[in-house]
Amino acid sequence: MVQREAGNKTRGERSALSNDKFMVRFLSYRVSFTLIVFVVLLVFFGIFSAGHSFFGIANLTALAKLAPDLGIVALGVGTLMIAGEFDLSVASTIPLSSFVFTKLLGWGTPHALILVITLLTGAIIGMSNGLLVVKTKLPSFIITLGTMLFWRGIVYAASRMSPIGIMAWLEPDAWLLKVFVGFIGGMVPVQFVWFLFFFAVLGVIVQLHRFGNWIYVTGDNQIAARAMGIDTDMVKTVCYVIVGVLCSFMGMIQNLRIESFAANQGVGFELRAIASAVVGGTSLMGGIGSIPGIFLGTLTIQIIDNGLILMGAPAFGINAFIGGAIIIFAVLNVTVARVTGK
Amino acid sequence: MKKSKLFLFAVVLLTLVSFTVLIPATLLAKDDKPGAGMYFRLVTHGGNDPFWAVFQQGMRDAADELGCRADIDLCGSDQNLMQKRFQEAVAMRPDGIALVINDNTMWDKPVADAIAKGIPVIGTNNDDQKGSAGNARLCYIGQNERRAGLMIGRAVFAAAKAGGKNMRTLKVAAAVEVPGANYGVVRSQGIKDAMEEYGIQGDIDIIDATLEMTTAESRITSYLIGHPDTGAIFGLGGICTDRITSGLKNAKKSPGQIPGGGFDATPGTLTGLKTGYMVASIDQQQYLQGYFSVYVLYLYKKYGFLPQIDTGGYLITKDNIALIESLSSKHVR
Repeated sequence: MVQREAGNKTRGERSALSNDKFMVRFLSYRVSFTLIVFVVLLVFFGIFSAGHSFFGIANLTALAKLAPDLGIVALGVGTLMIAGEFDLSVASTIPLSSFVFTKLLGWGTPHALILVITLLTGAIIGMSNGLLVVKTKLPSFIITLGTMLFWRGIVYAASRMSPIGIMAWLEPDAWLLKVFVGFIGGMVPVQFVWFLFFFAVLGVIVQLHRFGNWIYVTGDNQIAARAMGIDTDMVKTVCYVIVGVLCSFMGMIQNLRIESFAANQGVGFELRAIASAVVGGTSLMGGIGSIPGIFLGTLTIQIIDNGLILMGAPAFGINAFIGGAIIIFAVLNVTVARVTGK
Repeated sequence: MKKSKLFLFAVVLLTLVSFTVLIPATLLAKDDKPGAGMYFRLVTHGGNDPFWAVFQQGMRDAADELGCRADIDLCGSDQNLMQKRFQEAVAMRPDGIALVINDNTMWDKPVADAIAKGIPVIGTNNDDQKGSAGNARLCYIGQNERRAGLMIGRAVFAAAKAGGKNMRTLKVAAAVEVPGANYGVVRSQGIKDAMEEYGIQGDIDIIDATLEMTTAESRITSYLIGHPDTGAIFGLGGICTDRITSGLKNAKKSPGQIPGGGFDATPGTLTGLKTGYMVASIDQQQYLQGYFSVYVLYLYKKYGFLPQIDTGGYLITKDNIALIESLSSKHVR
């Protein structure tokens, strides 16, 4: 009997120890804090939003429809940040792609070809960014600041800054509308499915594929990566192409959703995408981050925005809350890195 | 080799023909016009907005008609750059300057100094809140923002009243791209004037919507879901007005359930007017601001005329959309 009690106690202790180990290990991942905060925010807004409207069908549908705009761009920008680089030109790739898409639509180009050319636009901009960064060896922050201003200037000059409606060239039942901005079962916006698709694809590439390892090593220690035989220039350029293609895709779906090209599409996305990645645990120094973290980070920023307005927070205070959240997450990331040595 | 020399010769010949025939012909054509030899400069804070493409079209058309030269500075809301451009314009000693007076004190001295040097300066698009009492500019061409706010307020509140809403307790919201910016403040004052006329108590709820399309739509949607008692909604600028219709749809409102109104004629706004989500939108007719800026400077130079011109207050409704749509592709509306 005594022995059995002693044995039970040992198992309890083992279980507690095991739980402690799990918690320590769980908290050693940067994404854990984002996940915890994300869940806490869901519960908080669910309880305190006016009439519990946060979990209402209208709000969830609106979130699922609008959150992918920033989310898709953030997935690409975050991947690039893991590789140790930035891309500020996303804010211009979006309207430029939207403009190309609109012009091709106006010229009566077959829709499949429009899709290909629009995505190619982003790929070319991404590749030029990548080549400029790796060949000049200048900080990507400066190079892409330059390309952001350059491409935005081109968009403004070409469009004369005027919005262009597209519905005159699109049938209401066009497959472009159904595939990119339609609803599944009349409830689920297709944009969110695309967001999940890119999350899954990039998740597999970055977290499971060998190329993902190359991205991490390139961002963590470029010299060591080269010594291991990794073509870091190629890795970075491919990451820039991924960002460009995702921006083009987003520019196109935003264009279809708002039913027009607008010269101010993408304004501010360059910093909001970086903020999403940081909230998701991505390091500004490269080599650290994860696709699930970026996914949660972008959703966290957007539900803070949404939930605070639902709760009736003062209109001019929303940005203060989001700014505060970014700082808190950045501090948490640094603290976790210091404690875990990661 | 011979072919390339021949090609080079042809290019040189064509260039010479261009210079000797085409350019003098253009200059001669301009010399025939009344404004030939005159040069005007328009200094603005514009740049990142489709609005200014229409403004520039007006300026270009007037310059072509008069045969004068006119240039525009688009400073992208950079006040320091705008001050620099204004000083550069003064140094060029043009025949006149049209300036966007987007600050109540910053332009007082520069404008007075320029006029003292003999360079006529008129206000365009934005004016000192005190008008001629606040700035020495010779005259002003642009929309009276408060009156425009009053007009759109009246149109939307009339629809709300016709829809059987309790006007005394009507909850009014307005989305703005840049909180605190002069245009939004003055336009919302005009809407408040209309609220007083209709006996609406309470204040306007301001939504900080930002300049970015998706954020604007998201915040308008969140507001409408979180405030289901909203009785009327306005966009104080073109971007917010454009997104109101989508916001109402996202919040599962039916057309007319919450009457909407705002400013400018972007594609989203026109869709809203057609589908009944939007009651009306104000067109401040910025083409006329660019056009009359050049014409007034010309007329002042020639005859000393100084008219005050209110270009705004054109109410776009579903009844006159066709006209707007036909002209918007030409950058006139």
